[in-house]
Amino acid sequence: MSGPGDARSAILDAIRQRLAESAAHEGAHGAPHDPPPPAARPISGNGKVLPVLGDVKFPVGGALDAQPAAMGTPLERFREQASAVGAACEVVRNEAAARETIARILAAAGARKVACSDAPLARSLTRGAGAGGGLGVRDVAGLTREQLFVCDAGVTTAQWGIAETGTLVLESARERHRLLSLVPPVHIALLSTSRICATLGDVLARVHPAGAGRDVESHAITFITGPSRTSDIELTLAIGVHGPQALHIVLVDAEV
Amino acid sequence: MTSSHLTAETFDRNARAALQDTQLRGALRNATTLFGERRRAAIGTVADWEGLRDQARAIKDDVLLHLDRYLEEFTANAEGAGATVHWARDAAEACDVIARIAAERGARSVVKSKSMATEEVHLNAALARLGIEPVETDLGEYIIQLAGETPSHIVVPAIHKTKAQIAALFAEKLGTAASDDVATLTAAARQALRQRFAEADLGISGVNFAVAETGTILILENEGNARLTTTLPRTHVALMGIEKVIPRFEDLAVFLELLPRSGTGQRLTTYQSLLTGTKRRPDGEGPEELHLVLLDNGRSRMLARPVTRQSLACIRCGACLNACPVYQQIGGHAYGSVYPGPIGAVITPQLFGIEHSAQLPYASSLCGACREVCPVKIDIPALLLHLRSEVIESGAGGGHRLEALAFRAYGLMMRHPRLFAWATRLARRVQRLARVGDRIGKANPLAARLVPPLGAWTAWRDLRPLAPRSFREQWRDRR
Repeated sequence: MSGPGDARSAILDAIRQRLAESAAHEGAHGAPHDPPPPAARPISGNGKVLPVLGDVKFPVGGALDAQPAAMGTPLERFREQASAVGAACEVVRNEAAARETIARILAAAGARKVACSDAPLARSLTRGAGAGGGLGVRDVAGLTREQLFVCDAGVTTAQWGIAETGTLVLESARERHRLLSLVPPVHIALLSTSRICATLGDVLARVHPAGAGRDVESHAITFITGPSRTSDIELTLAIGVHGPQALHIVLVDAEV
Repeated sequence: MTSSHLTAETFDRNARAALQDTQLRGALRNATTLFGERRRAAIGTVADWEGLRDQARAIKDDVLLHLDRYLEEFTANAEGAGATVHWARDAAEACDVIARIAAERGARSVVKSKSMATEEVHLNAALARLGIEPVETDLGEYIIQLAGETPSHIVVPAIHKTKAQIAALFAEKLGTAASDDVATLTAAARQALRQRFAEADLGISGVNFAVAETGTILILENEGNARLTTTLPRTHVALMGIEKVIPRFEDLAVFLELLPRSGTGQRLTTYQSLLTGTKRRPDGEGPEELHLVLLDNGRSRMLARPVTRQSLACIRCGACLNACPVYQQIGGHAYGSVYPGPIGAVITPQLFGIEHSAQLPYASSLCGACREVCPVKIDIPALLLHLRSEVIESGAGGGHRLEALAFRAYGLMMRHPRLFAWATRLARRVQRLARVGDRIGKANPLAARLVPPLGAWTAWRDLRPLAPRSFREQWRDRR
């Protein structure tokens, strides 16, 4: 019986062999269906170079739906994109306002069993005066799996936002309770407006696992764009399949 | 694994049967039209779509030319982050590895998120032989699992089923009331699967991209089932084709900009999970173990020529399916393969053998719509032509002897001008039997029922008759 290393060497050897074969074949003669060399430009009778089809740039999509240039501040774009994918957004000035907003959201959703992450931005909701008991929100500490599955709502933080898509980004080293953003049918996310980046590329640079191996802090980085959805049945959109049915983003406009 | 008895070998027959299914054709028309419209709108939101495609193709070309090096880099980094990496030369080996992992851990409740690679290797059947029944958690896959069918589209596997059919299926298998309201059906599936998620001890997923630089795997989805599958159970097994690797973490931005827009017209799917090894703290959320299974199963063979190597650039977006006039009419089951549509027509013969799928390279008019929409610019028509020549050279098509004879006769005629002139004069006399007015074809019963392969043309199209005097004859007369 071959050992596990055998499959590895066999596959790597096969790859090297095939690539060598390809290099030899290309060296010998051009393959029949490789792209042809660029054709000479046709010239008309009076010596003018004629345009070829490739010169014409056909517009992609209608003029109305092409919006490549970004409009507005990152916050404005974030709110616009988040709404477009069905997430509700509110901007608040401070912790007290955040608590009020969350209380209102939970009441409107009829959420009685609510668990909250212990990440810094969310911590005030379960600690200190007026927190916890006042909101009916419990700390996630000691939450069992059974309890998680009967929660009506989960409150977490997000570490970054992406303006061009209205996306939340959670890093597992900083938001240690991402299941709260997934299992309960309502997810409330707290995000500082200073953490909204313009593009996906910007965020990737910031969450890049810069270390190697176990030095990498966050083993899981999660991007969330709107509530859970599917169109698997007759292409009809259904919201809230396995993940949350409702996503509320509370944007805290303060330096945290 | 195929839907009931449909295999790639009987593609022509499958296609004809599919064309009779008006409900299927209606569903396909709706789906492919909608996806096409959404794709067009979505790519309008990108400033330089063509540039992005070129960039993606360049990244893939680089990876494939140095695949061994990138796979080694990926493996080292993934293992450094706590993952266990396994290598599987073929389907049987992949199933063995995963079955062993499941058995060693006494896995009883297994959940699966969508993975074409696991269907390619028939993983569910292999696990069933051990008495393990993984439940598919992607809604479309769950539906076809309950129905005992195979997927008919890469992105929406149950697109061939109506609400009414799904309602009846759920009523039978889940005991739910037979309501065909989509929200109700979805809620029924969510309810049925939640318990499975809660008690699952093993989660099996696919991988969309694997980053060599960091050992990260990326999984994208809309429903949340992949997040649940890869977070709740204590063991996570991810199966990936060896071509899924990309060089740098930043390259993810290019592919994330291309894939959702191409496949469903979304800027981004609802969730992306970027997983780098296992959790850093024992009390943290996430599996204790992560097993990555790297699958060859014929992929390395495709590296041998540039024309076939580009098959491995595919990011499984499904755009070519939606654009293809053949797929739009017959759907995925007719291809008799887990990979249907244009990309399926080229990788199925390469993965599973041309002798079993010789008709697939001919399932095309070479219109090039697939090449137009492919985000990584795979030249599928060139690949189809290459595979057609392989079919002829290997004799896999069963030998179209009559066709070969006809081409030899044609060649002979073209090399001998007097023979050509004589044949033309003869044909002019014979055609009087078949022509009606200035057409040869359907109007004349004799012509319309010509022996195949000629009858295949005249059953649907007319031919123009030969002119009374050929150009050469007229030229000669004028001199």
